[in-house]
Amino acid sequence: MSASRELRLTVNGISRVIAEVPDDERLLDTLRWRLGLKGTKEGCRTGGCGACTVLVDGRSVLSCLTLSREVEEQAVTTVEGLAEDPVGSQVQAAFVREAGLQCGYCTPGFVMALTGLLREDPRRSAEELLEELHGNLCRCTGYVAISRAVRSLTEER
Amino acid sequence: MAFRLLTPENEAEAIRLLRDAGPAASAVLAGGTDLLHDVDFGLIRPTTLLSLRKLPWKELHWHDGRLTIGSTLPLAELESDPELPSRIPGLYTAVRAVGSRTLRHRATLGGNIARCAPTSDLLPTLLVLGATVRTVGPAGERDLPLAELLVGSRRTTLGVGELLRSVTVPSAPSAYLWQRVRPVNDVSQVGVAVARDGRGGWGVAVGGVLPVPRRFPSAEALLSGSSPSREAVQAAAARTAEEAPFVSDKRASEEYRRRLVRVLVERAIANVVRQGAP
Repeated sequence: MSASRELRLTVNGISRVIAEVPDDERLLDTLRWRLGLKGTKEGCRTGGCGACTVLVDGRSVLSCLTLSREVEEQAVTTVEGLAEDPVGSQVQAAFVREAGLQCGYCTPGFVMALTGLLREDPRRSAEELLEELHGNLCRCTGYVAISRAVRSLTEER
Repeated sequence: MAFRLLTPENEAEAIRLLRDAGPAASAVLAGGTDLLHDVDFGLIRPTTLLSLRKLPWKELHWHDGRLTIGSTLPLAELESDPELPSRIPGLYTAVRAVGSRTLRHRATLGGNIARCAPTSDLLPTLLVLGATVRTVGPAGERDLPLAELLVGSRRTTLGVGELLRSVTVPSAPSAYLWQRVRPVNDVSQVGVAVARDGRGGWGVAVGGVLPVPRRFPSAEALLSGSSPSREAVQAAAARTAEEAPFVSDKRASEEYRRRLVRVLVERAIANVVRQGAP
């Protein structure tokens, strides 16, 4: 049997106390089903597609392979909190400007991964960013518009 | 699928809880990127997970040309060490071969070793470099060569209540080359690590073999000096291809792996030769 206990998380700057969270619950499910933050998407649930990417203490992680309890008392940022983040809002604007999406399902993962990469090291080149984004899959765009959004971000500097 | 999560506050508590939980029903959680996948697919059914997150085991320091890495340090932090690419190029490449940057923010070196996957991208490089590991357990600390820890997929010689504490890796000219379908977030069909020590001796190790990645001493014996002859390199590659215990599975056929390993060994040696003296 999985134990259920209270969980304390800071999500998008707000401290949350969530009752009765099972020990084996994933961060992806806590965000989507307990907090209603459905911007974070479930893709493959095996760590392959990057759709579930969120930031934990500013670093990108796969929320499908992260136990909620393992990030207890850390700061989680989801796509819903992106506009509050100075780097995140630039990334968001670049995707809008370059229309870096079609169906949009992979987009939260892409923008969160990119925001994390730029927060870690703002000097990363477009080539480096694109290489690190290989962990995110998109089935619509052929990556053309996404690449354009990434390049427009580095050209702004 | 359901399990309870124990999060010990210190090393002594971790050892005690792990010993008391018993090896049959428990699993150790570091980054969880591989473990939780196996839980999801029902490949393992632990009733207790022991989280190492509160233990102060995330150190990273150089001493006398050797790098000591805490077992729960995320791979992304190891990869970001400014000296790693020049001092241990093979390890840098191998670390970057694991998952994606996002996955490496949680995945750990200790987890990769203790999970002991035949397809691990890290084990071949650690083996050719002669890495040693330190463990802690009910009987105290133990230092041993990495090769003595590895048994087979998800199996090591770690005893009941024993945990992987840190890994120490010497610097050396080294290279890691892999082949797989997708460049990231995929499992290598074959991985080849090559390193040269300060005395002109060579190491050759292969991943994607059963039961675990291993070195090939008879191929290594064909190589010597800083720039082995073309004939010696080809002979070492052929010997590795001949001896490597490959099988056919969903990722690649045995024949493909055998052809591939030959090419990768030759290229990896050439890469190390180009790096020059240690």
